[in-house]
Amino acid sequence: MTELALRALRKTYTGRGRAAVEAVRSIDVELSSGELLGLLGPSGCGKSTTLRMIAGLETVTGGDILIGGSSVVALPARQRNIGVAFENYALYPPLTVAENLGFGLAARGGCGRAEIRRRVAEMAERIGITGLLDARPAGLSSGQKQRVALARALIRVPDVLLLDEPLSHLDAAQRDTTRRELKRIQRDSGHTAILVTHDQEEALSLADRIAVMRDGEIQQLGAPEEIYDSPANLFVADFVGEPAINLLPGTADGPGGVRLSDSVRVPVPHRIPAGRAVVLGIRPEDLCLDDTGARARVTAHEPLLESGIATLSLDGVAKPLVVVTGPEVRLDRGDTVRITADPQHIHVFDAQTGDALR
Amino acid sequence: MRRRLLCAAADLALIAYFVFALFPVAWMVVLSLKPTNELFSTYFSFTPTLDSYRTVLGAGDDQGVPFLRFFVNSLVVSLGAVALSLVIGLPAAYAAARWRFRGSENLMFTLLSFRFAPELTVIIPLFVLYQQLGLFDSYVGMVWVLQLVTLPLIVWIMRSYFSDLSPELEQAALLDGYTRKQAFFRVALPLVKPGIAAVSLLAFIFAWNNFVFPLILTSSNAQTVTVGALSFLGGDRPKYNLTAAAALVSVVPPLLLALTIQRYLVRGLSFGAVKS
Repeated sequence: MTELALRALRKTYTGRGRAAVEAVRSIDVELSSGELLGLLGPSGCGKSTTLRMIAGLETVTGGDILIGGSSVVALPARQRNIGVAFENYALYPPLTVAENLGFGLAARGGCGRAEIRRRVAEMAERIGITGLLDARPAGLSSGQKQRVALARALIRVPDVLLLDEPLSHLDAAQRDTTRRELKRIQRDSGHTAILVTHDQEEALSLADRIAVMRDGEIQQLGAPEEIYDSPANLFVADFVGEPAINLLPGTADGPGGVRLSDSVRVPVPHRIPAGRAVVLGIRPEDLCLDDTGARARVTAHEPLLESGIATLSLDGVAKPLVVVTGPEVRLDRGDTVRITADPQHIHVFDAQTGDALR
Repeated sequence: MRRRLLCAAADLALIAYFVFALFPVAWMVVLSLKPTNELFSTYFSFTPTLDSYRTVLGAGDDQGVPFLRFFVNSLVVSLGAVALSLVIGLPAAYAAARWRFRGSENLMFTLLSFRFAPELTVIIPLFVLYQQLGLFDSYVGMVWVLQLVTLPLIVWIMRSYFSDLSPELEQAALLDGYTRKQAFFRVALPLVKPGIAAVSLLAFIFAWNNFVFPLILTSSNAQTVTVGALSFLGGDRPKYNLTAAAALVSVVPPLLLALTIQRYLVRGLSFGAVKS
């Protein structure tokens, strides 16, 4: 098993008569052997370009890619020994599943027919697709196709496994089972892997570490709970978390407090110079209804099964506040409630730079 | 009841159109079966004879027109033109579908313009050129000039077939150890087979039916059926029955070709319409 390092990796697209587009600005990441890194970001953030550069499907403008300590930038895709599970599966339609799996082994040569058959059967067993070996891709469900695509990526025993939006075409039920499968298979095989996704749930549940990307740059790199509990800036705070974090502009009024409006002051543990413009970030699940906090009026409440989501309006604060409530709570539009938040769970960001203040 | 009437009316209209559309063909068949002395009779009564066909195919009095030779010429020239266009056009179409490079769109448009520019505008300079290069009345010359007809067709149609293929298929092959060339030949090409069949037939028909190029650029050696069929009209008396028979005989190869690859044709025409 092998480690993977990206050093100051850059990709710039230059078009004739058009401004150059910096798709990837400077990416520095090191993956230890067997680690699964999630590249998370909105579309156009450069995550797929990064993946394609690692695979060798895209040329590199600057920087280096090291697999097992040696640079692969100069090598064509076929010499890098990388397995990719493509977003659209890229299964070869005229071939059966077994032939699709054997395709890559045959291409490299050095594998006899019997050997190929044995390895296909073995891989099918491991991924749980033995019953599908004689089917053609057109007859498979999305979840089955995804497994076959994964099996095809793994059968060559690649040094690095790249997963491009592996769950994006699956329905909710398949997504859960496939996600668990994916996790198990990657753990068992011990492959160093990169997962590219725009779906935070996918990244949070599968990855050992997550790199949140925007505009070709990594905004924050860390374990899932780190990304969630202490976002490095407004973008990360806003992008990760469902329902989305409440971001409320305010002004620091002396150490230990932020004023959101004339009547609402929120105590925070941070020491911020008075008068500084900040943005408070409070996750909906960190707010709770009690009898002591700030007054708020209910503008909407959606009771769900195991929890509810209430939208509140604070006195003199323009932005609505979203709160996750318990399942037994029943609120009506126009009710007045009081809410508090644990100061330890309040994030404070500089309004100008967007960076978190610690 | 109303529905039924409408249906019947629609059927009648279609039958009327069918008769209208097929009338010229039927007229040709009738003409080709008429004996020479009854050619210009206006009443619909004659003794049908296959003499015209015998003459055209060389069994009867051949009138000095080597029609079979024209027929072979047409086959050689049309098949040659399609084959050459496939060899050049398939990689070109693939490249045009996969990469945008400087001037690629201009190049593609230039190619297309060969199709809508009237052949007559270039035929005189071509005639002079061919005379000087020694290509006049030769197979090579005809195959070459027919590229104007077949190549744009093949490149443009095949380009859209290649565009419909997901590039990830080839990328997966590249990662599996194939070179770019192998990915083209072993992954992309087999998937567009139905398209190749359809476009080859189309190109063959266009090449086969071409009239202006062989009319001006050939004389006796490389002359094709389209021009050859007219030879029967020369001389003291135009022999329409022979021309009609010749025209009907020359329909046979494209027809046979269409029937044999019909299976591919249907798939070829619907390919790409359904995204997976």
